[in-house]
Amino acid sequence: MTIRGSGLRRRLLCGLAAAAPVLTILASGGLAASPGEPPAAQATGQKPAQAGPAASTTAPAAPATAPPKPATAPAATAAAPPKPKNLEPLQSAASSGILGKKVTGPDGRELGLIVDVVVAADGHPLAAIIDFGGFLGVGSRKIAIDWRLLRFDPGQPDWQVALRLSRAEVQAAPEYKPDAATNQMVGPPWEAPASRNGEK
Amino acid sequence: MARNDRAGKVARTGAPGGGKDSGAGPPVTSPPATSPAGRGLDWLNLFVGNIQTGFGPFIAVYLTTQGWTETSIGLALSLGTISAMASQVPAGAMVDAIANKAAVVFFSILAFSLGALLFAIQPTPLPVYLAEIIHSFSSCTLGPAIAAISLAVAGPAMLGLRFGRNTRFASIGNGIGAALMGACGYYVSERAVFFLTAALTLPALVPLLPLARLGTGGRAAGRDAGSGGWRDGLRPLLTDRRLLIFAASLMLFTLGNAAILPLIGSALTERVGSTASLLIAACIVLPQLVVAAISPAIGRLAETRGRRLVLLLGFCTLPIRGLLFAAASDPAFAVPVQILDGIAGAAIGVLVPLVTSDIAGRSGHFNLALGFVGFAIGIGATLSTSLAGAIADRFGNSIALLGLAGVGLAATALVWGAMPETRTPQPGTP
Repeated sequence: MTIRGSGLRRRLLCGLAAAAPVLTILASGGLAASPGEPPAAQATGQKPAQAGPAASTTAPAAPATAPPKPATAPAATAAAPPKPKNLEPLQSAASSGILGKKVTGPDGRELGLIVDVVVAADGHPLAAIIDFGGFLGVGSRKIAIDWRLLRFDPGQPDWQVALRLSRAEVQAAPEYKPDAATNQMVGPPWEAPASRNGEK
Repeated sequence: MARNDRAGKVARTGAPGGGKDSGAGPPVTSPPATSPAGRGLDWLNLFVGNIQTGFGPFIAVYLTTQGWTETSIGLALSLGTISAMASQVPAGAMVDAIANKAAVVFFSILAFSLGALLFAIQPTPLPVYLAEIIHSFSSCTLGPAIAAISLAVAGPAMLGLRFGRNTRFASIGNGIGAALMGACGYYVSERAVFFLTAALTLPALVPLLPLARLGTGGRAAGRDAGSGGWRDGLRPLLTDRRLLIFAASLMLFTLGNAAILPLIGSALTERVGSTASLLIAACIVLPQLVVAAISPAIGRLAETRGRRLVLLLGFCTLPIRGLLFAAASDPAFAVPVQILDGIAGAAIGVLVPLVTSDIAGRSGHFNLALGFVGFAIGIGATLSTSLAGAIADRFGNSIALLGLAGVGLAATALVWGAMPETRTPQPGTP
């Protein structure tokens, strides 16, 4: 049971790149120094990605999910003292991060986890990528679900994302592949496929 | 019952020869199952099999629930893979050099525990990377050290039976671990799985007590013929044709084998309803049950009929399994076919340490040789998923399964054509 992931070539390179800083830190004896945010954030860029979708649920034009806008770049590299202008509250009672959230069907049973959010050029979320099914990580599939099919309930403790379609309606969807030129997502069944905005 | 009787008989006839032989460890006059050390090994294998379950593909699920992105999860997992590959051979050499194998097992299990706790307590990048490295290295020392203790406990004449029991109890542990952790992840939380793993390392330490007294036996196994110096024995070993062919055939086998379960699992998820997860669980646990049932018999077969036959028997299940999966229209058919995986698992679980000890058991480099074989298996496993994924993307699942069956056929052909028998003609001959 030591099978691990796919997309090997890219990962091998990433892994080698990550090994160097980690090993240097180990060698310098600084391993107990708590999470060690700087090298981690550098290597993975994880934190910004985490904040992005959360903001987008409340404010569609969230800066982090709209990479084409150059205006947000200075804020990201905020090493200098001045705080960004126009700070707005992001209340946890009314907003939430979404990566890794469980998705449940209409019957309340768990279907999978949200692993990514696909956005349009204006930052508007189009689809959620759900890692669907499986047992102990074996046999799960990634499928794309139209964002409008999801219901969110931030603020509740341990809230889960509610999918309005049943397992049977989504399980045979084609696998989502990030590198493919075209992917297909499961849209609302009451809409004609041609009218979907994913085709733009 | 009949099985145990026969095991006792073989053990009794084998024991005098084993006593005369200068071989590995002190002479053992009781059958491997009933000596305290033998029972200790049984339990040790069970608990170690138990705790290894949590560190599989489940890490990806857990990190996802902690808000990790796909990219950073891939990074952490490949860091683990790379450090496992890099540490196989050095870890083997290290175990060779340490006389007290029980201490190696002890610290490896503690390291497992530490890794699991790091995952559970602090799922942020640096601790997770650290946990991956710790876990990779300690799994590279744990397996060889347990095999070396078995070598010392059983003596050369009963080694097949001993490794048969090791494999049986390891797979029982694996099956229990998968069931426990699946339930824990479902009913409690993903994080609890790692706390459970850490907790299960404690009972794994208990069976070490009877084994710790075997310290000198471990030394004998490791250093037996090492009078010629450390490096003198190494070169002929690593250029030994038998070891190279054995490693190459296992690499090919794993290349064809490792990706089958993920492929079948995702096909089940796509086509079967809400029972898909249960069927996948059955596809994982059923082979473990088969391994538990047959590996002692496989070990006996390897002693009586030779290693080659058992290796061929195990390997030839892979092309058959690939063909059956590729041809099957009903995905639920996958579960009974997984019996074949159990046969292969038992054969490989028994033969990897057994054939390696045939070749390197007295060279003083047994663990290094095991590390070398493990390295070859690791390469096969790592390439397998990307190979199958690439074929499946372009040509579909059936062709990918046929391709994997083809690789399995090549592995079988390699054993058939090139792998010599490594069993010494009579148990106990010098």
